Amino acid sequence: MGNPLLAFWENLFRRDDDQRRIRRDTFRVAATSAAQASATIFLILRRMRAPLIVLIVIFSVSVLGLTVIPGEDAEGRPWDMGFFDAFYVMSYTATTIGFGEIPYPFTYNQRMWVTISIYLTVVGWAYAIGSLLALFQDRAFRSALALQHFSRKVARLREPFLLIAGYGRTGELLAHSFDRLGRRFVVLDLSDERIDGLELASYRADVPGLAADARDPGHLAVAGLGHTCCEAVVALTDDEEANLAIVMAAALLRPELPVIARVTSRTIAERMQAFGSPSTVNAFDRFGDHLRLALRAPSSFQLLTWLESGPGAEVPSRGLPPRSGRWIVCGYGRLGREVTADLRAEGMDVTVIEDRPVDVDGADLLVGDGSDPWVMAQADLDQAVGLVAGTDNDTTNLSLVAAARRSNPSLFLAARQNRPDNAPLFAAMEVDALLVPTEVVAHEVYAQLSTPLLWRFLRDMPALGDAWARELVDRLTGVCGTHLQELWKVRLTPQEAPALDGWLASGTAQLGTLLRNPDDRDDSLHLVTLLVLRGGEATLAPGDDFVLRPGDELLLAGWPAARRALAMILVVDGVLEYVVTGRRVPSSWIWRRLRPAAEANG
Amino acid sequence: MNLEKVVFGFFVVLAATLNFGFFLGDIDNPALHNPYELFAAVVVNLIATVLKFGDRTQIGAVHLATSLVADLQLIGAALVFGYAEYVSTAGMNPSWTASVVSLSGGALLANIVSIVLLVVETVSFHRG
Repeated sequence: MGNPLLAFWENLFRRDDDQRRIRRDTFRVAATSAAQASATIFLILRRMRAPLIVLIVIFSVSVLGLTVIPGEDAEGRPWDMGFFDAFYVMSYTATTIGFGEIPYPFTYNQRMWVTISIYLTVVGWAYAIGSLLALFQDRAFRSALALQHFSRKVARLREPFLLIAGYGRTGELLAHSFDRLGRRFVVLDLSDERIDGLELASYRADVPGLAADARDPGHLAVAGLGHTCCEAVVALTDDEEANLAIVMAAALLRPELPVIARVTSRTIAERMQAFGSPSTVNAFDRFGDHLRLALRAPSSFQLLTWLESGPGAEVPSRGLPPRSGRWIVCGYGRLGREVTADLRAEGMDVTVIEDRPVDVDGADLLVGDGSDPWVMAQADLDQAVGLVAGTDNDTTNLSLVAAARRSNPSLFLAARQNRPDNAPLFAAMEVDALLVPTEVVAHEVYAQLSTPLLWRFLRDMPALGDAWARELVDRLTGVCGTHLQELWKVRLTPQEAPALDGWLASGTAQLGTLLRNPDDRDDSLHLVTLLVLRGGEATLAPGDDFVLRPGDELLLAGWPAARRALAMILVVDGVLEYVVTGRRVPSSWIWRRLRPAAEANG
Repeated sequence: MNLEKVVFGFFVVLAATLNFGFFLGDIDNPALHNPYELFAAVVVNLIATVLKFGDRTQIGAVHLATSLVADLQLIGAALVFGYAEYVSTAGMNPSWTASVVSLSGGALLANIVSIVLLVVETVSFHRG
């Protein structure tokens, strides 16, 4: 038996040189940033010098004056005020509290001096307090305080967290999905308003947020890039250069961390690939891929969008896009280019409408403004099967969709929504496929990070065909209803499933036998097994007769109650015995002792 | 010549000299220890402390620390003085006087460290 203390010690101190170097580097970067913050505080202290010295001088002169000026006691005998009395009188006078003439009524000499000191000390206090308040209002001081507060909060995190750089619409969507999963994250954004918005966003967990430029590696380090609990970095700013800078910093300082970045151009994506292997998400590229999948396998597409939307999402309707015919693409920007290429790869004819002559790589080109009825008439909408309204102007896209629907109601309509405010308009328009770039990116990042198994499932799933996907969607809706319930992962290791050890090793452990209700084994649990991963090999939606082995990883979707029940089966010996064999086994020690005797007698 | 350095050196040295002046004399003889001198020492020490605010160097930090020690000791001495004069029935007798003077003696030590630091800083500046 190994010495557990020794093992603990090894775990604590065994770090190879590489890791040590990384920790040192990130620590150094974070220290620079923290030093900047403390520099501001030193500056503030320096600025308080003058008001404080003025206050001390005024106070000491007034006190000294009172002790020197001769006074009288109650009987009119000469009496000199001591330092304590003088300090007491000046303290309450200067702070405008004014208890009066203590301990004896003042002489005229003293009153003259006190009159002068009142004006002096009030000015001194006002100057000191005014300077202090002005400093608290100071922008640099406040941001230095915020930085210190933030770095303390991040350093205290003791569970895995995600570093989200860029908290725009995409970051917000992603943050909410992760919060629903009970995962922690740290947010960096350039804008103060968005960071203030964090407090109003009503997350379950406390979210540390800092308004700072994520391009600065120091800020990234303060936000937890060097933290041992940081599990991934997501670059979602709307600035390509900033995203590249974040990918670079993460790759150089923590090469082993997964990085996901949002990109809109292929050039930047390729520049990012030079740094390790960050995962890049291009919303327009993904939309083109999704459109292709929707054309080829509508049910696979339906399953993909449903699972990507996260817990609580409603099952999307299954679109039926036309499989052959001519498509019209309005707007040949980044989206138009991707969609045209994808549609042509699927064997469709494409007509591009763009208001300036461009090289459309072999497709038909119609030069003109798409929202102009005359141009639309030329495009032969009657003969077309689908239309993509992909300009970067929401008003144009909406009017394109409306015009197209009027001239040909059977058209398949795809539209791009640029601004989140216009969501209700697009929803009312009921287009067949809607691209919201921010949502595409958020869903994609969610799928990659929520559990690696889901990402594996979504990548392997399209290969299994449309009929298979339709059957799985039916099974899922049968078990979960029209809203996606929980999605979770179970690892059949001795740590996570101690009760299953012997049973798994027996080689007869069938999946269908395990997933039974612990109260009544005739019922199966309300969950669907999406994927079993063994080694590097994945089995998608395995049947009830699938034989489990130790070390398998399962991806499951189903009701929270089923999740709790399964957790009980995995941990409690007696429950597994009942679920597998139908025999009730007592769980307490005394009953287990008594049971064999009772069975022998009976 | 830097005016800031002149003012800084002036207050640091004045704090130490006033403190020394109060400390000088028989430790239990109240007639040899003037309360005005103690008052001046407290005020000048406070000003010297404020002047040391906001220096980020290592030597600046030690400067501030010695000043804070001196303040603490001198304010302690002033409080004991006040207690002996106004609260204690015995008044300013030799034992109270000894307490006050010994407290100010501690402050004097801190002030001497301050002056040593000042000298070290100046000398190393000329060499460098």
